[in-house]
Amino acid sequence: MELKTATDSQFQAKLDEQKDLQRKFLKRIVLIIVYVLLALWAVFTFVPLLWMLSSSFKDSSAITSVPPELFPKNPTLDAYKRIFKVGGLGRWFLNSTIIAAVSTVINVFFASLAGYAFSKLRFPGRNAIFWVLLASIMIPGQVTLIPLYILVVDTFQMENTYAGIIVPGMVSVGSIFLMRQFMTSLPSSLIDAGRIDACSEFGIFWKIILPISKPGLAVLGIFTFVAHWNNFFWPFLVTNTNSMRTLQVGLTSFRFENLQDYGAMMAGAVCSAVPMIIVFLALQKYFLQGITIGAVKG
Amino acid sequence: MAEVKFLNIVKQFEDENKGKVFAVKDASFTVKDKEFLVFVGPSGCGKTTSLRMVAGLERQTSGDIYIGDRLVNKVHPKDRDIAMVFQDYALYPHMTIRENLGFGLKNLKTPKEEIEAKIKEAASILSIENLLDRKPRELSGGQRQRIAVGRAIVRNPSVFLFDEPLSNLDAKLRVQMRVELSELHKRLEATIIYVTHDQVEAMTLGQRIVVMNAGEIQQIATPEELYEKPNNLFVAGFIGSPPMNFVKARLNGNQLHTASYTFTVPEEKLKMYKKYDGKEVIFGIRPEDILSTKLMPSVPDKNVYHVNLKVVEHLGAELLIYFDIGDDQLTGRVNADAKLKQLEPTELYFNLNKMQLFDPKTQERIY
Amino acid sequence: MIDDYGASAFWKVSFKGDEVMATSVEKQSHWGENAKQFLKDYGWCYAFIALPFLLFLVFTVYPLFSAFIMSFQEYGILKSKFIGIDNYKYLLSNDIFWKAMKNTTIYTLGTVPVNILITFFLSLMIFPLNRRSQTFFKASFYLPAVTSGITMSLIWLWMFDPTQSGLMNIVLGWMGFDQQLFLASSKSALFSLMLMTYIGGHGSGVILYLAAMGGIPKSLYEAADIDAASWWSKLKNITWPLLKPTTLYMLITGVIGSFQVFEATYVMTQGGPNFATTTIAFLIYQHAFQYYQFGLAAAEAFILGFIIIVISILQFKYMASDVEY
Repeated sequence: MELKTATDSQFQAKLDEQKDLQRKFLKRIVLIIVYVLLALWAVFTFVPLLWMLSSSFKDSSAITSVPPELFPKNPTLDAYKRIFKVGGLGRWFLNSTIIAAVSTVINVFFASLAGYAFSKLRFPGRNAIFWVLLASIMIPGQVTLIPLYILVVDTFQMENTYAGIIVPGMVSVGSIFLMRQFMTSLPSSLIDAGRIDACSEFGIFWKIILPISKPGLAVLGIFTFVAHWNNFFWPFLVTNTNSMRTLQVGLTSFRFENLQDYGAMMAGAVCSAVPMIIVFLALQKYFLQGITIGAVKG
Repeated sequence: MAEVKFLNIVKQFEDENKGKVFAVKDASFTVKDKEFLVFVGPSGCGKTTSLRMVAGLERQTSGDIYIGDRLVNKVHPKDRDIAMVFQDYALYPHMTIRENLGFGLKNLKTPKEEIEAKIKEAASILSIENLLDRKPRELSGGQRQRIAVGRAIVRNPSVFLFDEPLSNLDAKLRVQMRVELSELHKRLEATIIYVTHDQVEAMTLGQRIVVMNAGEIQQIATPEELYEKPNNLFVAGFIGSPPMNFVKARLNGNQLHTASYTFTVPEEKLKMYKKYDGKEVIFGIRPEDILSTKLMPSVPDKNVYHVNLKVVEHLGAELLIYFDIGDDQLTGRVNADAKLKQLEPTELYFNLNKMQLFDPKTQERIY
Repeated sequence: MIDDYGASAFWKVSFKGDEVMATSVEKQSHWGENAKQFLKDYGWCYAFIALPFLLFLVFTVYPLFSAFIMSFQEYGILKSKFIGIDNYKYLLSNDIFWKAMKNTTIYTLGTVPVNILITFFLSLMIFPLNRRSQTFFKASFYLPAVTSGITMSLIWLWMFDPTQSGLMNIVLGWMGFDQQLFLASSKSALFSLMLMTYIGGHGSGVILYLAAMGGIPKSLYEAADIDAASWWSKLKNITWPLLKPTTLYMLITGVIGSFQVFEATYVMTQGGPNFATTTIAFLIYQHAFQYYQFGLAAAEAFILGFIIIVISILQFKYMASDVEY
């Protein structure tokens, strides 16, 4: 082994320190670049929404002006008036609200009841039935669509009604799956204790399981509401009068009846998107949590 | 209070990988009225399953269960007049303690005043009056455990069922709660079935103990009997800490030949072992029956040997010493005053008055 | 663990010491009694799942079988006639059907892998940041997902306007490029739809990847550091392979979703111009609800379903073989 002189080790120490500083500097730069890139991408993501918002307040000349105004110089509510009066947005909005609310309550209740049964109760055929239900998710919607339409419109005569829109999709298998995954983590001993405590089976569900499932129920409720609010295809098929159209369907029919009135279209888009965005901002954490409950642990 | 009879209970279920599995194989026992009976055994031995069958939370594959005079095979848990304390306490997290305690009686449509009175009584027995309006998450483990016991007391059942209630508590609290449970048993004059995997808990709490292994009952006896007259190798090795030493040996007249030493069997014991003269046996001796001659007033003339100690562990008041006889490793438990050291040879006396012999094929004790 | 409801013996005799005990075991040979006991034990379990299961039978199983039969029929508004596999033969020899297949395939190949990669790199960049930043970006990227497909389609329809007032053309103008026709030209229409997916919509994927990244043991990276591994090597040998389950999930769901894309084509292009954006899903809709050829549409739907299932199985087999759980 070579003998190191005092100056040799001092030199090595200086080199080490230099390398460390370099590394720290590099890390900083990379971090800054990352933040910039992410911020840029976030801006990209928001641009369509901002454009929608700004266009909705422009009058018919401003909307096609070149160069475009980011903030309309003369903001006006004309576009909104048009979509409400000519289109009938008020009625669409009401329909969407009713349908989304009713569907949510029904879905949350029955999906959590079934999810509870599949996760905590034991009965013959439980696994088989569950897998069959789950397999049905793989079936693309188009396959069952046409007979479903004939069933609802001809056989059950539910065309153009709230029932026709709500009933076929009342309880989704995905929701049952979600609640089952969530409830698997609840302690089974509570159910045993409930039985010993003379609680009826439904009572156990209602008085013990539901109160402690609030986070899961909240996530399911929010996702269900947003999904129904944004749903287009089925209400589109089933409704044929303007008074029964939901928001999404109404906006689409307006688009085809007023091919160039982009201002009003944007105003309509704002009325559709903004409520959901508000819900999202207020209840962010439920959205972010909810995505992982089903998929990652699946 | 009542006695509980378990007759020829078999519990079988389907395991995805192993096919048909027996959790309990033909178990029968009787819990006497007001008795504290403990079930003990390693994980998976069937003790918890048996308890749950008494509770009615599991249905037996075949066999009968009686609580008192009543055949309860088809009776729902809520009607069996039992109460259970769970390992994780199973307190309803969204209810206050008062609501937790009263939940069962409320469901049974008991009048309000009666519920109030019973809660008050249970709370005072367990000194938890000041916790009644709190929620479970605000309480410590020991407090929650008390509440769980309180919930059982409120129901005033014929039989109390405990499923490893102390295993989630730290060691110190566990000792304290053991004493409290014993006192509770006397005070309430209750019939108690208690499940644990901890043989110390079993020995200290149980008036009788049921030792189970792999779904079969190995022995039902008092703690003393289990210690002094274990039925087989399993029970002998399960009860007592550190566990009994087992050494392969051959019996020849009154000489017991092992790989390293030849022991002399005491007169009184020879009669029991006559049948095995000339045969292979398993020789069992407890660590506490291996003594250091340093601490003995006079050194006996038989069964004293020089031994090389591989490892010596200091426990404070005692030493655990490890040494070999042939392929077998033995443990001894010696008072620390002997001041024995690792890797040093020392003289040990093997007290064969306390010896046990086991049949190598059947694993049963020879007597 | 389901108890035996069959008949069993009558008396069980057992010996305990000196005692002889005979206990009666109940005769359970009556059918009616068995059924009653079964209901008592499990009736309420089935009650809990009754409604969803009923809905499933009526609105999924029945239509499934009905569609299958329909695909072998000529089914119009007023009449239906059995025609064997003629529907399938017609489709497989039809130009527009193949055009739609081609469009759908290009769309899928052009959006699913690209978006997964974008999502992956976004997640990589977000992962090392502090909690607050992570939440901010997660929320920002997820936000567009709460707006409906219709809303987004309308906005992008306006953004893709081929005149100079369309935002995309405005931006191109700033960058010194020519004005484009986007949706108005059969050459650029499909690509415009694909472009739409690249921007926005990565939120849920980012959240999934971030969650999965959190599950990778830090010690693996630490060992790699000691082994002098570069960041690229760590990415290739640790991060990417261990995220395969998530990637697989996103691939499968992504393909299933993109094969069924409808709202954008309906709102923005109606399948045009000149079938350039006609996808299989859109074609099915046209055949069913514009031309009222239900049988044909049903056959088409089955072909679509078959393709999706086969691709999903292949993907699963191919990627899952070296996925370690």
